Amino acid sequence: MSRTQHVLIVEDNDDDFETAVEAARRSGVINRLDRAVSGSACLEMLGASAQQPGPLPALVLLDLNMPSEDGRDALRLIRNDERLACVPLVVLSASANPRDVQFAYTSGVNAYHVKPVNHASHLGILQKIFDYWLVDILLPTQRSLKPS
Amino acid sequence: MSSGSANGADGDPAGHHAPPAWADGPYSIKRHGTSLTHCDSEPIQAPGCIQAHGALLTARLADLRVLQASENTPRYLGVPAEQLLGQPLAGLLDAADLSRLNEMLAHDRLEGNALYAFTHAARGGLPALDVCAHTVDGALVLEFETVGPSASALRHPGGDFFTLVRSAVSRMQGTIGLLPFCEQVAAEVRHITGLDRVMVYRFHADLHGEVVAESKLDSLAPWLGLHYPEADIPKPARDIYMRIWIRPLPDATAPLVEMLPLANPDTGRPLTMTHCSLRGASVMYTEYLQNMGVAASLTMPILIEGHLWGLIACHHGTPTLFPHPMRAACELLAQVASLQLKSAERIEQMDWQLKVENIQQKLVTKAAREGDLLALSDRQPSLLDAMAGAAGAALYHMGRWWCAGNTPSEVQLDSLAEWLNERPEFDSSTRPVFATDALSSLYPGGAEIVDLASGVIAVQVSRLRHDLIMWFRPQTLQTIRWAGNPNDKPLVPGPHGMRLTPRRSFELFLQSVRERSLPWTQIEIDLALRLRLLVMDLVSSAGEKLTELNIDLVSSNEELDAFAYVASHDLKEPLRGIHRYAWQVLDSAGSLEPENRARMDSLMRLALRMDSLLDSLLHFSRVGRTTLEFEWVDLNEVVADALEMVGVRSSDDACSIVFERPLPSAMCDVVRVREIYSNLISNAVKYNQSARPRIEIGYLLSEEPGERPLAPPDAAGQTIYFVRDNGIGIEERHFDQVFRMFKRLHPQSNFGGGVGAGLTVVKKVVSRHGGVVWLSSAPGEGSNFYFTLPYGLRAAQIEVTDAEPGQAGVPT
Repeated sequence: MSRTQHVLIVEDNDDDFETAVEAARRSGVINRLDRAVSGSACLEMLGASAQQPGPLPALVLLDLNMPSEDGRDALRLIRNDERLACVPLVVLSASANPRDVQFAYTSGVNAYHVKPVNHASHLGILQKIFDYWLVDILLPTQRSLKPS
Repeated sequence: MSSGSANGADGDPAGHHAPPAWADGPYSIKRHGTSLTHCDSEPIQAPGCIQAHGALLTARLADLRVLQASENTPRYLGVPAEQLLGQPLAGLLDAADLSRLNEMLAHDRLEGNALYAFTHAARGGLPALDVCAHTVDGALVLEFETVGPSASALRHPGGDFFTLVRSAVSRMQGTIGLLPFCEQVAAEVRHITGLDRVMVYRFHADLHGEVVAESKLDSLAPWLGLHYPEADIPKPARDIYMRIWIRPLPDATAPLVEMLPLANPDTGRPLTMTHCSLRGASVMYTEYLQNMGVAASLTMPILIEGHLWGLIACHHGTPTLFPHPMRAACELLAQVASLQLKSAERIEQMDWQLKVENIQQKLVTKAAREGDLLALSDRQPSLLDAMAGAAGAALYHMGRWWCAGNTPSEVQLDSLAEWLNERPEFDSSTRPVFATDALSSLYPGGAEIVDLASGVIAVQVSRLRHDLIMWFRPQTLQTIRWAGNPNDKPLVPGPHGMRLTPRRSFELFLQSVRERSLPWTQIEIDLALRLRLLVMDLVSSAGEKLTELNIDLVSSNEELDAFAYVASHDLKEPLRGIHRYAWQVLDSAGSLEPENRARMDSLMRLALRMDSLLDSLLHFSRVGRTTLEFEWVDLNEVVADALEMVGVRSSDDACSIVFERPLPSAMCDVVRVREIYSNLISNAVKYNQSARPRIEIGYLLSEEPGERPLAPPDAAGQTIYFVRDNGIGIEERHFDQVFRMFKRLHPQSNFGGGVGAGLTVVKKVVSRHGGVVWLSSAPGEGSNFYFTLPYGLRAAQIEVTDAEPGQAGVPT
């Protein structure tokens, strides 16, 4: 993982974003944490990243059920954008509704997690996510699968 | 009537097996006559004879030389017929008349269309003659008719028929309704013609006729309402009325005059006289008229859309001439009548149809409101009102009869229905209706109910239950009455006997309609079909409502599901907040007093407990609604999975899991049954204070001897599955409570603190499998939980015996 890659956290809830920041701190994440408070903000930021020569996010952590703008639209649009094909997309949602889970995976998310009520568990899950997606896995060095 | 011949079997002096005279060679009605048996094929369009009140010539169109002449030419033209043959018309007619004729031939459409040409002036003791001309079969036909006194001329000396017709038409147009219109037509025609009796005669669907309107001399007996058999106006006569507008017969007593020669020498064929007003009448007709005391008749057809609706028939007691202007006026009135009747009849039919459809709609609405077809039979309006021309109606529904009006008895209805249900008519995909006007001719039991049900319309509203709707009509005899005695004057009948008299005719009509009802009209049959559709809609809409409810249920289940998730999500959000803040307080504030620390702990624990309660609720609500998927499941594997879920290993020293014998396979939903076992095992371990908990898992087959402990009746014949423990046991008074949601018998802190949903889920899953769950226990003696899973087995049996897919899934 390149340290120059940032993590985009799409989260409308300030507390939950704070929890993510705390988990990142505990996991020793050195990447920059960016926040988008809505699906559309997320798309804007990703669109900007995609057009610039700089690196794409190492991880997008997405809350599906945001009241103002639906994370679902963002999810679909991200996965329909060829330039963002290799960006890991992980859902962390309060919803355990099988329909949401089904939707997320068929739309192409890489993992789906439920936000637990237990705060310690919440932190734990976030730490696992960061550890796994920012440390354990290997991402392509090219921006997309398209050979350049 | 207008043409009084008949093919009745009686009174035939000519011998009815002889071939008709027209079978070989040119025919002359005068020479050959006709008989009652043959008049249905009588060539009345080419009778070879004309009436005596005029003369007829035919001339070759090419050179206008005479081809045929009537044998009475000396009387009207002063020249014997033989001498006229081959002569040019120029020798006979005035130059002006001839040039008028040539002009007409050049400019007018004369083929089959007789037009007044000129008046042949009186000369040398010969009368003045009106001449009509038309062409037929390559010949010019000239009809010379005497201009003389007529009934109409006496009444209208000025003879301004144009004005007469104009005011007549405006009065006719002022009437409303079919019958008032017909009455006006009869009155107007009588006013213009001055004839003794004018009738509007209507053909019914079976071609029998009825006098529907009449205008007559007061001294004559009324014929209004009389019916006549089809044979009274035989087919050749009906055919001819489709092609001409008027038929004069000024003197029924006059002798017939033969054509000379009978056949056209150019073609060898007799003259077609369809459009000749002089055409000789059938002796059947003239004799009939004479038997009625009628000397002259004038008949106009009423055609509606190319179909012979009826006739305007005029009778006069003495011979009278029908001058051209009067005939033209009558033709015009008949044409106006035809056009007006068309719309009057249509309006009347539509009114009637609307009225009946309205009643049908009311009936069906009523039945729909009351949710029962029986609403069709009681009170007002009833089924009987839905078929205005019926005398009785019956509905078979819910295995019994509901009748209105005059109907056969229930026993008679039963056998009729049995017979009807086999009729192929009901198999028709387009018009599944049975309609007859002569039930006894089709149905053996019909003879005994002719007075009630000679006519029947039946529709089936449920094939499965044999539900029927029927309407009945009595035989016509019951419905038709004499409208007066037409034989008020004793008459000496002619050579063909009494057959050719109105009374005999009427009697014959009655005979022809014995065991017959008035026929059902197309509109009535359509209405029956319409009501059937309405009723079937009603019946099937009840079924559809059920289907809709099921769909609603499915979708409401899905909505409930979605709602449960949303509710759980929304309820959990604040819980997460509460838990987080408490956690953060504890995490950050190391200096918290022990008391407050405990409170924070408590707060967090309560939030987590609330979280599990929500999960349980959500789970429980889904258990009740998701569709089970039945399959053959090895219960040994299910239990092994459940043990693993609960975190118990049978090899553990901490706990012994005992199987008396391997478990069987069961037809069930594997996921749900695993939940039964995991919950029961979990409870067995949890509520156990023994040093070494012992859990026994087994089953009892229904046919096995031995104890079936406390088994409720519902478990009879079922395999009983059980989970036994040596735990703390349950007091009997709590047996029911243990299955209640969130009902715990112990403080939460004891025994590992579940939420109290496990046994509720067990009970729900078992009942979804059609089974029962129960227990036997005592404090300190452990607990035995028993359950059955019959649905899956039943589903499996259905599957095996019916080999029908989709039976195994028990819907929610």
